[in-house]
Amino acid sequence: MILYILRRLLSVVFTFIVVSIIIFLMMHAVPGGPFDGNDMPVSPEVRAKLMAQLGLDKPLPEQYFRYMWGVLHLDFGVPFQSPGETVLQLLGRAWVPSLTLGGLGVLIGAPLGILLGMAAALRRNTWIDYLASAFATLGLTIPVFVTSMLLILIFAVWLGWLPASGWGKPEKWILPIIAYATIPMATYARYTRSAMLDVLTRPFVTVLRAKGLSERRILFVHVLRNAALPLVTVFLPMFIGTATGSIFVEAMFRVPGLGAYFVSSIETRDYALEMSLILMITTMFCIAYLLSDLAYALLDPRIRRRR
Amino acid sequence: MTLLDISDLRVTFPGASGPVQAVRGVRLSLAPGESLGVVGESGSGKSVSCMAALRLLPATAKVEGRLSLCGIDMARASKSDLAQIRGRAAAMIFQDPMSAFDPVFPIGAQIVETIRAHRPGAPARAEARALLARVEIRDPDAAMQAYPHQLSGGMLQRAMIAMALSCQPRLLIADEPTTALDVTVQAQILQLIKDMQAEAGMGLVMITHDLGVIAETVDRVTVLYGGHVMEEAPTADLFDHPAHPYTRALLDSIPGQSPGRQRLSEIPGSSPDPAKLPQGCPFHPRCARAHDRCRAEAPPLTALSPTRATACWSPL
Repeated sequence: MILYILRRLLSVVFTFIVVSIIIFLMMHAVPGGPFDGNDMPVSPEVRAKLMAQLGLDKPLPEQYFRYMWGVLHLDFGVPFQSPGETVLQLLGRAWVPSLTLGGLGVLIGAPLGILLGMAAALRRNTWIDYLASAFATLGLTIPVFVTSMLLILIFAVWLGWLPASGWGKPEKWILPIIAYATIPMATYARYTRSAMLDVLTRPFVTVLRAKGLSERRILFVHVLRNAALPLVTVFLPMFIGTATGSIFVEAMFRVPGLGAYFVSSIETRDYALEMSLILMITTMFCIAYLLSDLAYALLDPRIRRRR
Repeated sequence: MTLLDISDLRVTFPGASGPVQAVRGVRLSLAPGESLGVVGESGSGKSVSCMAALRLLPATAKVEGRLSLCGIDMARASKSDLAQIRGRAAAMIFQDPMSAFDPVFPIGAQIVETIRAHRPGAPARAEARALLARVEIRDPDAAMQAYPHQLSGGMLQRAMIAMALSCQPRLLIADEPTTALDVTVQAQILQLIKDMQAEAGMGLVMITHDLGVIAETVDRVTVLYGGHVMEEAPTADLFDHPAHPYTRALLDSIPGQSPGRQRLSEIPGSSPDPAKLPQGCPFHPRCARAHDRCRAEAPPLTALSPTRATACWSPL
């Protein structure tokens, strides 16, 4: 088991390096540079000086190794768009709204989705099932910016119950959290329904009934535990995906989170920030997958033994 | 009081092209301590009848007729009544031990939860271990901790027998308990079931398609075909002089009855599809003795003697 974890950690490092090279090359393949914008025109001399200062005049391999050397020492560089702070400080600041809203969205949406999926599976082919399935399909197919717009329209504009956008007071959190929650909820409703239906048709469920166990025990101890296996694997990656902020949700609700920086770092050729953002998310996804595989092994004795 | 009293049982499943009647008026009965074999090909309704007795069929199945188990009217039993009867008054052993246990719990825990469900306060772990030892599992402590995938089919079937016996049921229903096992293990498991039955004085219903199993384990036999009872007889009588042509054909198709090489006798045609049973006697298309009446009218189950009955217009 320890050997397995070590092997997986090694593959995380490998993934990290491969992704960093690809991103670095793609980033620099995009024409233009950080000081080519029209907003703040700089003279060619100043530009050259700035480029030299930031090391951007060096050959690409050298720039890459300088950056990676910094990363090894937890120095992720300085964001060009906000030179007063380091990339780490900027990320630390921008993380808070994304993690709060996205994280709460998943933590609220996932359990609701599980309940919805269970209800659909247990009342299969009744109106409850159809309603839950319709909701899940809508949740997955309607783009999140449309959901956001509808939420703003209904609750902020028509009903006037909640503020339309912003960050700070908790009542401003409610609408973006709902917007974030729809996708985990819909995903979990679908996963749970099919996982439950799959387990419910297995022969051991009949055996459990024949033993005289209560339906509640069969459902919550045995069926749910077996159905939980696929549900656990999707949780962490989904959490990471949502808690790192959605470009659309943050733009719709004007939340100063990570999502906005994805776009602006690419637009302004803010190389250090762009690299750091993507590497951070890559690492978190790698670790999320590793952790969910370990959780899977913990829940399923058949996998535990094989390794 | 009879342990099992089923009469005029009819089970209908919804099918793609209309309802399918899998069981069409079956009767089965069993006195305490007695053993009954239920024989038939796949689709004969043998498993469905016994599953219906414990109300284990899916909710979509329509079950009609008299269903009495240990004096309890199973057709009217409530959900909590059912949970008390199942496992306690009547326990069941299933065909495929490999898929009969929940894969994510150790065997011991699954026996323990059965004991706790029916007899709270019993020293469940100690009892479970003792049961595993009683069904001749060599290392009961290891088996308690083992997950289903870590044990062989034979071991799992032993564990399932231990689980079924854990609440001292008065009736044990064994649904093809040896079909999924290696031939070498089959005899051991049958012997174990017989021993346990004798030891505990339980009633036993043995569902099987294998007449060899019947010969070794039960006192009486009910032969089913196409959801109908074809014949009822004490085991010895059935083997010595079957009354129904279908029983005769089944006996003839057992290999190795007479010495020397010879062509195996087979029953022409294929086992009946419950969705399209013929008019009249369900066996008539495959019966050499069939005549016009067989094709027109299903023969009723008629007593031949106090212990025997058959459903045939011209019994052997």
